[in-house]
Amino acid sequence: MTSALRLENVTKRYGETLAVDGVSFTAEPGRLFGLLGPNGAGKSSTIRMITYITTPDEGTVTLGGAPVGPESQARMGYLPEERGLYKKMKVGEQLVYLAQLKGLTTHDAERAVRQWLDRFGASAWYGKKVGDLSKGMQQKVQFVSTVAHDPDLCIFDEPFSGLDPINADILQETIMDLRARGKTVVFASHRMEQVERLCDDLCLISQGRVVLRGTLAEVKSRYGRDTATVEFDGDDAWIDRLADAGAARVLSRSGGRAELRLAPGTRPNDVVAAALAAGVELNQFGLHAPPLTEIFRMAVDANEDAPLAA
Amino acid sequence: MTKIFLIARSEYLRRVLTKGFVLGVLLAPVGMVLLFALPLVATLFSSDDGERQVLVADESGRLFEAVAEAMPARFAARRAEGPLDSLRAAVLDDRADLALVLPASLLDGDGDATAYTRSGGGLSQFDDVRSAVRDAVRGVRLADVGAPAEVQAVLDERPGLRSVTVTADGDAADGAFVASAIGYMSGFIIYVLVFIYGAMVMRGVIEEKQNRIVEVIASSVKPFQLLMGKVLGIGAVGLTQIALWTALGAVVLTALGPILLAVAGPGAAGAPGVPPEAAAEAPFDVGAITALLTPGFLLILVLCFLGGYLFYAALFAAVGSAVEQESDAQALTVPVTLPAIIPMLFLFPMLEQPDSTLSTVLSILPPFSTVLLPVRVAVTDVPFWQIALSLVLLAAAFVAAIWVAARIYRVGILMTGKKATFRDLARWVRTA
Repeated sequence: MTSALRLENVTKRYGETLAVDGVSFTAEPGRLFGLLGPNGAGKSSTIRMITYITTPDEGTVTLGGAPVGPESQARMGYLPEERGLYKKMKVGEQLVYLAQLKGLTTHDAERAVRQWLDRFGASAWYGKKVGDLSKGMQQKVQFVSTVAHDPDLCIFDEPFSGLDPINADILQETIMDLRARGKTVVFASHRMEQVERLCDDLCLISQGRVVLRGTLAEVKSRYGRDTATVEFDGDDAWIDRLADAGAARVLSRSGGRAELRLAPGTRPNDVVAAALAAGVELNQFGLHAPPLTEIFRMAVDANEDAPLAA
Repeated sequence: MTKIFLIARSEYLRRVLTKGFVLGVLLAPVGMVLLFALPLVATLFSSDDGERQVLVADESGRLFEAVAEAMPARFAARRAEGPLDSLRAAVLDDRADLALVLPASLLDGDGDATAYTRSGGGLSQFDDVRSAVRDAVRGVRLADVGAPAEVQAVLDERPGLRSVTVTADGDAADGAFVASAIGYMSGFIIYVLVFIYGAMVMRGVIEEKQNRIVEVIASSVKPFQLLMGKVLGIGAVGLTQIALWTALGAVVLTALGPILLAVAGPGAAGAPGVPPEAAAEAPFDVGAITALLTPGFLLILVLCFLGGYLFYAALFAAVGSAVEQESDAQALTVPVTLPAIIPMLFLFPMLEQPDSTLSTVLSILPPFSTVLLPVRVAVTDVPFWQIALSLVLLAAAFVAAIWVAARIYRVGILMTGKKATFRDLARWVRTA
């Protein structure tokens, strides 16, 4: 049984508002799919149709070839952006309940919940009330609720928000492990550096429409190697001169490091020449595709300039 | 179906296995008894709140002594002279609580006495003064026409009316009184329980929405399943409470019944108007209570609670789904709570005239029947077809309510950051 998630021409209206406008993409098993977009782009509306909380006005959503529905809900795990648990329920009781709603027997649910809590070093929480746990602990509990029933499709909406670095690492490891086990993982975020680090495929939506889609490598290659990372010792005033002249845009700079997006017509050598002319010691110079944040910004800008389809 | 059961079970256990529930089961009857006893105790004490000064302007010149004597002890009557203005001034200055003007024409069977007070002074005070004036006028006039003392005695007599309910198992004294009390209590308890548990459903829905957990649940089950599971689970909590109360009540009645009888028996025997030989029997018949609390009546009670609860819980859930927090729910709950109060207004007409057309209709018409059917069944014989019709209509009302509620609910629970208006709700019902 394959568990590829496929959206075809999915459209959703809320009254007059067109929340999702003809979105199509496929998320494959064993790969991490990034669903990206600014706030209000239609990510949550799209996820709600995938999870069968709402249904599309037009188009189809299928999991493993079958339309999503109560059947597929049992094969999905969903971590919403807005986290929530029953505060007065105990951790174990609550996780078992949520897993049972996904179709597990009491016995299977209890075993799975204990295994996952063990894995997170959280067995001691089993009998504690959720409301008595720290925010980070509650996040872990919620994550367990997403995966305890061993879903084929995992949907994480901003999974790292509010997590400290250590817990974020544990979570990232777990998500990678899910991918390695052949699960289809959808990862929704507007945090580009995370997506760039984790995702295999991505789909960028803006104002309800797909503006960019493909594998991470493919998308990046589309934009060419027009970004330079420079590391140097010395005064960085030369960067300002370069930017003022319109030859490059500064994406980031700190101490002796800068990331520059070259304007059309600016050659990499021009940057090197400018640095050398300023008399700085050049430690490293690299040329690569623009960071995803930059691609994201351009794609969204291009979409906003385009006339809206009625 | 399995999912509705899972949800109902979780909702049920989450609420029953708490200290709050156990305390509620044990303390609520105590609270209820206090609630009913309080007005009684209050009247006992309030009648004791000092002497009432009454100024009597007796224009006939012959009524004062008789009136002063006929008044209850808490009134201190003084003779007053002078114009009406000085009487009014005395009342205004608090030198007297009441000024009574008795025109001379009273003795000719003409005109009315007038009582002047700063405020109404309460119905019972008015009643006391009026009957004192009537007794006094009648006494003086009887004496005037030379009526013999025997006639006077005959007129003073107040024969009582004992109420005996006839059943196949034998007669029960004071049946009508007991039946009214039980009917009133039943209606009242159902009203309170329906509201407590209906509001619990609403709070549960709001909590899930505030928590955002509803998003997780909705990715596992249909909103309707969540709604039904919650309503049924909390309803089961209500039934558990009723069952525990019934068991508690049965234990108390069997254990304390004889004691109650022993305490109430001799005291009641001295009640006025009760012939001694009847009082010696059972003046306050425990049999009258047990005769009413048949399994059939209890079943009607449970069904009416269940029907009313399901109806209102569905509507409460719809309201809860449409708001962000409990304080916003106020405006939207009015159309739910208003029809629920209406039967309370008809409680006393129902107790007084259970067989009138109005009473019959109200005991059949949902949602009023949820409170009024048990009341009517307690105080009169209701034909079986009316009970059946009433329950069937109540069930139909629930189906209609849950249909509307489900449509509002499944849109409402996923809405955030916006307070819904009635217009929104109507649109959700139409388009969902």
